[in-house]
Amino acid sequence: MKRSETTTFQPRMKVLNAEQAWAIHRAALEILEKTGFKMEHPGALRMLVDAGAKVTDSDWVKLPVHAVEEAMKSAPRQIDLYDQHGNLAMVLANGNSYYGTGSDATFTLDLETGQRRRTVLKDVANFARLVDALENMSFAMSMANPEDVPVEDIYVYVFAEMVRNTSKPIVFIADRGKDIARIYEIACHVASGEEKLQQKPFLLNYSEAISPLRFPQNVMEKLIFCAEHRIPICLPSGSNAGGGAPVTLAGALAMGIAENLVGLTVHQLAGKGAPFLFGPNVSVLDMKSTIVSYGCPEWSLTQAALADMRDEIYGLPIWAFAGASDAKALDAQAGAEAMFSIITGMLSGANLIHDVGFLEYGNTSSLEMVTMADELVAMSRFFTRGIPVDEATLAVEAIRRVATGGPGSIFLMDDHTFEHFMEAQFLPRLLDRSRYDSWKQAGATDLYQRCNAEARRIISGHKGAAKSAEVLDRIEEIVRAK
Amino acid sequence: MSDFKALSEAISKGDINTAVSETRQALDAGTSAQDILDNGLIATMNEVGDRFSSGLIFVPQMLRSAKAMQECTKLLKPYFQEGDVVSKGKVLMGTVRGDLHDIGKNLVSMMMEGAGFTIVDLGVDVPPEHFVEKTKEVKPDIVGMSALLSTTMPAMADTVDALQAAGIRKKVKIMIGGAPVTEKYAQKIGADSYASDAGSAVTRAKELLGIS
Repeated sequence: MKRSETTTFQPRMKVLNAEQAWAIHRAALEILEKTGFKMEHPGALRMLVDAGAKVTDSDWVKLPVHAVEEAMKSAPRQIDLYDQHGNLAMVLANGNSYYGTGSDATFTLDLETGQRRRTVLKDVANFARLVDALENMSFAMSMANPEDVPVEDIYVYVFAEMVRNTSKPIVFIADRGKDIARIYEIACHVASGEEKLQQKPFLLNYSEAISPLRFPQNVMEKLIFCAEHRIPICLPSGSNAGGGAPVTLAGALAMGIAENLVGLTVHQLAGKGAPFLFGPNVSVLDMKSTIVSYGCPEWSLTQAALADMRDEIYGLPIWAFAGASDAKALDAQAGAEAMFSIITGMLSGANLIHDVGFLEYGNTSSLEMVTMADELVAMSRFFTRGIPVDEATLAVEAIRRVATGGPGSIFLMDDHTFEHFMEAQFLPRLLDRSRYDSWKQAGATDLYQRCNAEARRIISGHKGAAKSAEVLDRIEEIVRAK
Repeated sequence: MSDFKALSEAISKGDINTAVSETRQALDAGTSAQDILDNGLIATMNEVGDRFSSGLIFVPQMLRSAKAMQECTKLLKPYFQEGDVVSKGKVLMGTVRGDLHDIGKNLVSMMMEGAGFTIVDLGVDVPPEHFVEKTKEVKPDIVGMSALLSTTMPAMADTVDALQAAGIRKKVKIMIGGAPVTEKYAQKIGADSYASDAGSAVTRAKELLGIS
């Protein structure tokens, strides 16, 4: 009897119904129409006015719904990011999830000493190399705010260092129009030309408005530059519940989305159809320590809500976070918080998921944490792939064979197991499953120690695809130029 | 000394109306404004501050208690003469040139006000010249600077230098803070103190001025 074919259901989590999604969206529109926002870039202000916005007090803008809806329509529903050799690397659409590191950590855990120390440029290189090697990390961010480079050019130095150490896509930070132009120049050289870069972008800019509802000149400069040059960009504000936004999550979402819609509208006016990655960062301001939390369940919940709103309303790929912690060491809290955000991020189908590897609420980066998170992402991927049900996996023949095969007949010896076990099971490398005695003999290590050893092995041994001397020289020239 | 139990409880709970009415009642009953301030308000806020530092209460509760105290202090003001010590110290606060972030600065200001300091807030994007001008005008005990971006931190060094050049560096204590700021950086630029959060800022401010 031929078994009927089945399609494999992919586990998916939903946290909002349609009613809720639209209510939050309408609140966001109301904020833009009735409350308004501060637009400090004259060019952007003019564009908004031309699109129907009203201005009071020289820079306080109220934006009509139709202007926002135009932008929602014209922005692309899919953003393709390539690696630095022009190969398609990330299809940011639907529920496709990709994980990567984060930016601007002031401190890092030293790989040799375990000490928390100030970050330097070499750390940017190390994190980029690690991302380059890890199977489940799809893009690199700096993971450092290096103290050993001139601060006025810091983002140019950092971008160049990432380019030198990984071929994967890069999400980068810039300060304003001036340094983003230099970063763009470097990217054009890497891609062998501006046209090629625009067709197959390997970079995405991360910029932030200031919550609540403030859009500084330098931020808008970068937004407009990216729109004009078709560099993908995201503009999450820190609309953290209790901090830049109201303490209740629905309100924090509404405000963050309102701010994002301003960014989207200006962006599409400057470059209609240019790629815009949607979504605010909606975490919480901790009510005791006043840190913005990187381990809280709220952030996972709000981004899951954003994913549902994407599916119901926006259709635009979204920005998210995962794999970070408020813990000061790679301990059980770090593991728990990292796993919580990683699995929920994937179950909600968030698209570009950053900040993997952060400890201490984003203040300290850790190579061990990135290494651990890589395996947690793999474990999550296994789960969200679901259970394929077909002739082969139902294994009715193998069952018959082993059950009636007489004494000594076990599944372990059967052909079916040999053929399928590597796909059928999740095969951990760092999460330890050994028997007690062999674990003891091997040094009784904990996960932090194993991740440390693995990170060291990768950093010292990994050989990424090198860039040509010509490109490297050009990059150096651009970095050094004033 | 009078019994300020009801007033103290109202402030601890952040019950502004009750605190204000208790204060008014005490004044009407002839209690001295100084007595109410020292033993009713400041003593209570010190306890609230300690409970906050120990993690027993949350920031919104701390700020609400501070608001209650401020409303009561307003009632007491007319009873004090010019020159009477009502405040622990004067603090000039600002986010430095080129930086528009203010949540941290505002939180520090409010916590310090709650602890009994007087704050003059210059807002955001404050150039060194403006810090200098206002320092001459306001004569603060402490100048507090905030920055959230590593690219705006150099303005902190510029401001310290500007105060030095104006010959008034030694007249104030300089305290800095913000996400990318470190103790090491504070030492490097010649600031007097660094605080990592609003609660510590209050402690550091008291240390700088040698008060409790």
